[in-house]
Amino acid sequence: MSVDEVAPVAFAGRRGSLMALALRVGLLTLATLGVYRFWGRTRLRRWYWSAVQPGGDPLEYTGDGAEKFAGFLMAVCVLALWLGVVNLLLMFVSLSWLAAPWLAYVLSVVGLIPVWAYARYRARAYMLARTRWRGIRFGMAPGAAGYAGRVCLHGMFTLATLGALWPRMTFKLEKYRTDRTYFGTLRLHQGGQWTILLPAYTPVLVCGAFALASLLLAATSTPRMVWLAVPFGIGALYGIVRYRVLSIRLMAEAKTAGGLSLIATPDPVRVARIVGFGWLAITIVLALPLIGAAFVYALAPAGRIELLLATDPTNPLALLALALFLILYFGLFVAYGVLRHGLITMPLWRHYAESLTVTGTSALAAVRQRDRQAAPEAGGLAEALDIGAAI
Amino acid sequence: MTERTIIAVGSRAAPYHANGRLFDGQSPVAQPVALSFDDAAKTLVIATDEGDIAHQWPFESLRRVPGAAADQLVVSSTDAGDARLHMPGGDARLIRTRAPKLDRRHLRVRRGRLAGLVVAAVAAVALMLAVLVPALADRLANYLPPEGEAALGEATLAQVRNALGDALMGPLPMCDGPEGLEALAALQDRLSPEADVTVRVLDHPMVNAFALPGGVVILFDGLIQTADSAEEVAAVLAHETGHVVARDPTRTALRSAGSIGVLDLLFGDFAGGAMVLFLTERIISASYTQEAEAAADSYAHEALARASISPAAIATLFERIKAERGDADPIVQHFLAHPAMADRIEAARAAVPEGQRTEPALSDAAWAGLRAICD
Repeated sequence: MSVDEVAPVAFAGRRGSLMALALRVGLLTLATLGVYRFWGRTRLRRWYWSAVQPGGDPLEYTGDGAEKFAGFLMAVCVLALWLGVVNLLLMFVSLSWLAAPWLAYVLSVVGLIPVWAYARYRARAYMLARTRWRGIRFGMAPGAAGYAGRVCLHGMFTLATLGALWPRMTFKLEKYRTDRTYFGTLRLHQGGQWTILLPAYTPVLVCGAFALASLLLAATSTPRMVWLAVPFGIGALYGIVRYRVLSIRLMAEAKTAGGLSLIATPDPVRVARIVGFGWLAITIVLALPLIGAAFVYALAPAGRIELLLATDPTNPLALLALALFLILYFGLFVAYGVLRHGLITMPLWRHYAESLTVTGTSALAAVRQRDRQAAPEAGGLAEALDIGAAI
Repeated sequence: MTERTIIAVGSRAAPYHANGRLFDGQSPVAQPVALSFDDAAKTLVIATDEGDIAHQWPFESLRRVPGAAADQLVVSSTDAGDARLHMPGGDARLIRTRAPKLDRRHLRVRRGRLAGLVVAAVAAVALMLAVLVPALADRLANYLPPEGEAALGEATLAQVRNALGDALMGPLPMCDGPEGLEALAALQDRLSPEADVTVRVLDHPMVNAFALPGGVVILFDGLIQTADSAEEVAAVLAHETGHVVARDPTRTALRSAGSIGVLDLLFGDFAGGAMVLFLTERIISASYTQEAEAAADSYAHEALARASISPAAIATLFERIKAERGDADPIVQHFLAHPAMADRIEAARAAVPEGQRTEPALSDAAWAGLRAICD
């Protein structure tokens, strides 16, 4: 039996077909008041998965829209009770003790963090259970509660050290997830230590510290120092992008599974360019119709449109204005989704895929299939909390 | 193209031959296979390199694995579990003419279960919004200390001003003409000296008024401009004060604090903003229960009678809006289409004490000051 030792990952999807799919999905989601989003997300995932082809063989996404919808409904049953009663109680406590509502807002967001982490782990487990390559399923061992606890713990460490321990959090969480991930019967392993991320993180820390220091100086003594915060701020921002890319790269190269390992060479400059130009293009394209609408609005006699809408809503002109407004409003939503897929998500996936190579593929011979996992919840909690909005 | 033309000559040796790679669903290692069609038996024949027939997948059972890339075709069989057959993308047409269900997908979730879940989720949300949140809010409203109520009122007012303001000019401005504010304070003091109520005016043409938690009554400038006399404003003021005294707005605001998260959850992507607007609208045109409205009305009737102002003023205000604008006007619809409104007008007339000696609600100068409060 001859097996190539090296399997580069190819990306085979075309932008046009993805944007057409995203447009169809966006319009159907709109027409169904959002219900179609579960099927839509499934179709988009199927597209992305099949475009990624390690060793030339596409990944397969076997998730199901109805399954996702059912999971979402189950999550709604639980969350509706939680959110209503808890928010109300928090608001009451906050108003009674502090005579201000802000504590309720803060607590209701902070209280969601463990739920959010729990949901994220479950969503990833579902996604992996519905992913196949060469007919073999991926999977993830249970561990959502432990993950939620670790997110809270590492989050606190990171906050307490003003961000200095961020790389430790990145690494430990990735290790927790990776060490529970399976391809068939083969378990993945995250090697290395969190300190491998330190060199990539140092520029963020340095630029961030200088930006903060110049802001503090500007606020206390020398207002002119505020200008110094600009280059350091931009440096820190690029540093974060660079850190994210490099941390993915470093941690990927320290991953093993049996005799398999990865060569990853994603380029921070390339990623920053994709993200930067992508957002710029989206902003320009979406701003054009808005500017046009503002122009029309400015030309109309002052207050005339509002008055017409308030006093005579059945007037054809008022209906026309309302229809145009709705088309513009919802059209922008759909256009944003389409552009984001075409200009940001897909180029990023392509870059990450094409810069990845699987090595030691002869170890695949030892891998066997794993049983299909039932997933009644199907990532519904994450769906309800709107996590992973990209796909 | 010619080498792939199909001529079915026998049950065995169909002239279609292609090489594919079979993943048997047990191992991720590819087995190179030779493919051919058996059109008599209606099967796809999968043979090993050595020529032994390894599998025969019925045409009926073939399913295409949907994918983005056109350069290869991945096929599964409903008879063969997790096995996947990778073949050249150019062969899709040949397969499609034979496999009638190639693009069919099977639903993994039963419709009955899905329908049951939809009902359960709707029931949970309805239970929450219609029963639990209101019941809890009503109880808690009684225990909220005054400072807490005031803070809730402030937050709600900010929300209303933002919703009615616009992006360029910022939140809706409050009117602070000193004579007008003085007139309002005097009028309020005369109507309900025992209640600690602050009256503010928002610069908006809407003909409306509402009460906020913490003893704040908001009048829109539109109402003051539409009113014919200070008595009519006094009548509206007395009614809203009735709501404040009964803590109706506190209950509504607490309810919306509980409901907003639930509604956000349901509507997800498309607009949490629209939900906030919807709830703000509910605060402004707060439709309290029939009993709460009746209680606020009778409070107003008493307060007006005590202050030597005719309770009938509210009736004249409503009737004039109706006469001036016609039945189709949305504001009239809002106020008068309510079936109980005619009764309320009548009740206001009936509440006028016999032989009541009225005194003007405001002096002419104070009334002029109130009308100019937003200038």
